[in-house]
Amino acid sequence: MSRLHLLSLPILLLLFVGLPVFWAFPEALPFWRSSGIVLGWAGAGLLLFNLLLMVREVRLASSLGGLERITVWHHQTGMVAYLLLLLHPLALAAAGWGESPELARKVISPISESWPVWLGWGGLIFLMLGLATTFMNHLAYGTWLWLHGLLGFGVLIGFAHVLQLGISAGAVFALFAALLLLLWRMLRVDLGTAAKPYIVTSVRAVAQSMVEVSMKPLAMPIAAAPGQFVLAAFFKGPGYQGCGEFHPFTVSGLGQDHEFRIGVKALGDCTRHMQRLEAGVSARIHGPFGEFLKDLPTRPLLWVAGGIGITPFLGFLRQWPVISPTTLIYLYRGEQDAAYLDELTALSAGCAELSLQAEATGSGLPDLNRLLPEAAALANHECYLCGPPGLIEAISRILLERNVPVERIHFEHFDFR
Amino acid sequence: MTRKLYIVSTTAFWLAVLGLGMTSALWNPAEQGDVQAQGKTVTLAELAKHAAPGNCWMAIRGSVYDLSTYLPAHPSPPEIVLPWCGKEATEAYNTKTKGRPHAPYADELLAKYRIGTLVKAP
Repeated sequence: MSRLHLLSLPILLLLFVGLPVFWAFPEALPFWRSSGIVLGWAGAGLLLFNLLLMVREVRLASSLGGLERITVWHHQTGMVAYLLLLLHPLALAAAGWGESPELARKVISPISESWPVWLGWGGLIFLMLGLATTFMNHLAYGTWLWLHGLLGFGVLIGFAHVLQLGISAGAVFALFAALLLLLWRMLRVDLGTAAKPYIVTSVRAVAQSMVEVSMKPLAMPIAAAPGQFVLAAFFKGPGYQGCGEFHPFTVSGLGQDHEFRIGVKALGDCTRHMQRLEAGVSARIHGPFGEFLKDLPTRPLLWVAGGIGITPFLGFLRQWPVISPTTLIYLYRGEQDAAYLDELTALSAGCAELSLQAEATGSGLPDLNRLLPEAAALANHECYLCGPPGLIEAISRILLERNVPVERIHFEHFDFR
Repeated sequence: MTRKLYIVSTTAFWLAVLGLGMTSALWNPAEQGDVQAQGKTVTLAELAKHAAPGNCWMAIRGSVYDLSTYLPAHPSPPEIVLPWCGKEATEAYNTKTKGRPHAPYADELLAKYRIGTLVKAP
């Protein structure tokens, strides 16, 4: 990742938080009141920044270092904004405490007949509820997405709270910006206007509960490269009705006339339904995103794939031969889950630089200490990991223990909730 | 990690709010002293002499308040509040936001700045 891409998010964060705090910075006010005001504006700025990170535009995502990185920042800055906004009323109450505890209570009491206080509480409660549902990973994605939308509602109520305080210039700007970003996200991503129309040309089973879906464009194609991923939603076909939700899938192969393939594993209700996809089903494709295997260095490579995490490596190998010594460790639960194993074995046999190590691991975490190369064998290697978060975390820890520098460990896992 | 942080911070927040409510309920206002008792009579003419940001008196609901030191802390922009310095401002005070009066919190805060009673004679 270039230095500019690396610095893009911190610079934007500074602007989104620094500008409102600078604009509203109180002068000659008691400490706690000043703190309350600064916390409120810093939280508001962070929320706006957070809304910007929800906008999934291909060029924007690329210039900010990729969708995966953006999602991590979205999660972390959202949590920090929430903490600042929890402290905001408490600091204002602390300012009243000097006069009397009764005054401190009245500062934040929702019983008083005051729109600013009501709206402030309303915004905070919606943020609280929205954030609580964010952690409910067992919810179906569609339900989860709508409940997550409570956060957006909370943001709008929060800025209406500022407007009611009489701080018109800042509040109007913030409210307008928040509305614009929420609408942008809803129209372009959730309703799919940024996505391109495709049609399914073939579907084949590659493992238990996993199919490979080929699609061709009906209009302008996307410019996908192997290893990148797309957000795909499937709709109606001759005997199929899709759930219409956008889910991330890695490009596992490119064909003629901009045709491309993705691997779909049954991981939830919608992806389970996709196992019955058939030719002729209409689809919308948003992307491509990700720079996982872009600009590979010439030094030796270690690739580790867990389950469906094999798709970016397969996509790469189908397109190009590796030119550096490359070890591909492919971990899967059982033989019935070993998608593409025959093809990978054939690719490895035909490429002197590629060494394939395929392992059935069962349902638990495998013995990674045994499976991963020793420290001496890892010297000067660049490591790429793709699979479930728990597996990536465990592998990264061992690689760090074996003296692989952190900047040489790259991973990708699709956690866009 | 983030989930734990959410649970801990949200719980701590509600405990702080609850603690504040309980302390407030047990608070004995008699200890504060009787600020309402202090005061003098102020005429409209005298009130009008205090119409500057650093010397700002306002008459609200029959009482006169010296708000010079409070004004910088008022949440509204100065252009909304300053024009009422040196004037009878009850109507403005009662119709702050879309016709609604200030909150009880503001009433209590205002009492701290009371300096006298307004007499309508010029």
